[in-house]
Amino acid sequence: MSDDTRFVITIADHKPIPCETDKTVLENLEAQNVEVHYHCREGFCGACRTKLIKGEVDYTTDPLAYIDDDEFLPCCTIALTDIDIKIEY
Amino acid sequence: MKYTTFNQKRTNPLVEPMFFGNPVNVARYDQQKHSIFEKLIEKQISFFWRPEEVDVSKDRVDFQSLSDSEKHIFISNLKYQTLLDSVQGRSPNIAFLPIISLPELETWTETWSFFETIHSRSYTHILRNLFTDPSNIFDDIVVNEHIKQRAGDISKYYDDLIFYTQLWQTQGEGVHTVDGEVHQVNMRELKKKLYLCMNSVNALEAIRFYVSFACTFAFAERELMEGNSKIIRLIARDENLHLTSTQHILNLWQKGKDDPEMAEIAEELKDEARAIFMQAVEQEKQWAGYLFGQGSMIGLNEEILCQYVEYIANHRMSAIGMGQPFDVTSNPLPWMNNYLNSDNVQVAPQESEISSYLVGQIDSEVNAEDFGDFDL
Ligand code: FES
Ligand SMILES: [Fe+2]
Ligand SMILES: [Fe+2]
Repeated sequence: MSDDTRFVITIADHKPIPCETDKTVLENLEAQNVEVHYHCREGFCGACRTKLIKGEVDYTTDPLAYIDDDEFLPCCTIALTDIDIKIEY
Repeated sequence: MKYTTFNQKRTNPLVEPMFFGNPVNVARYDQQKHSIFEKLIEKQISFFWRPEEVDVSKDRVDFQSLSDSEKHIFISNLKYQTLLDSVQGRSPNIAFLPIISLPELETWTETWSFFETIHSRSYTHILRNLFTDPSNIFDDIVVNEHIKQRAGDISKYYDDLIFYTQLWQTQGEGVHTVDGEVHQVNMRELKKKLYLCMNSVNALEAIRFYVSFACTFAFAERELMEGNSKIIRLIARDENLHLTSTQHILNLWQKGKDDPEMAEIAEELKDEARAIFMQAVEQEKQWAGYLFGQGSMIGLNEEILCQYVEYIANHRMSAIGMGQPFDVTSNPLPWMNNYLNSDNVQVAPQESEISSYLVGQIDSEVNAEDFGDFDL
């Protein structure tokens, strides 16, 4: 796999995990058994709200859920770079 | 300020606050001050569903096989949900529409409330399937102490806002005495009541359904009452959207992106707003206690349900800047996520049945116990 289809997700209090760009960030986290809260998986409920400390993501759908400036929704985003996140439980 | 159904004054809805500005005149959606409400309207309409499309007939057999304590859990939850949706089917309209100043927020409120009426209709659909005559269940909602206690807390903030709005719209600002009680009516007071009411509604949409949702889905995990579970999944999807809307409203205020006075009030009433949420959490836990008071059900108990309420509350409270007051770091009921996602909630076409057929089916099914002591 070439480098532009695979990034690294660095997670606070967790070891780094690979991130494939044909999957959402949430799916990547689940593939490595990282527990993230979710409900709708479509960007409208906000259950998956996560802090984006560094890096860039792209939304696959217009997110309706309320998110703060430093947050993103893993259920409907694809990583564009390596990302640094902090999961809120 | 007197309410008018069509404000003849030329206004610019792009600069009005969400509430307590000029009344809305033209219902136009080509431009929005807060586009989120337009998006929520479209999303909510795309979710449209009819309770009659979900086949609940198998639930009747399942219900007979439940233990008495499980029946108590199932029916009590339906009663509580009926109460919640009875309130939500009317109150956002009555409390918020007279004071809303943006067309997109006005229509969002109407759309939101309309879906709550679909929820109410679905409880009738479920209960009519389980009982030849569901009247006893409905009648108990207004006399059952455990439900009444919750009803009081849910409706009081709405009632208070509605009453003060009526005084303001008919008599203006000032000191008004009604039935010997003195009321100080001014804009600051009205906005404070609105702020508390919105917090109470937010708490309702955020956590008040989740104890019953968990019970419903715990039955479904055992492949019981699956028709009911399908309906509750559709309801849960709508509730998620409602919650998103109240979170947006509260955050728009707090972050000073709407009415600057509401930002001040949010700061001033921070503790009171938080107390409303904590009280709702407490009541939900007490509800879990009441549900399991007559015995448990497989897969759930009071303790784990209370932890789940705290877990959900942490998420919901942090979304509106209230922090995470509870010490639960992982989801105590991870299987709940599977029922709360939007995939597979669509009603399968083969399940579609026309309602007249269903009503006929129920009416013609007469059980032996319906005859009671009738000697043949
Ligand atoms: S799971 Fe609903 S917004 Fe991500
Ligand atoms: Fe509802
Ligand atoms: Fe709702």
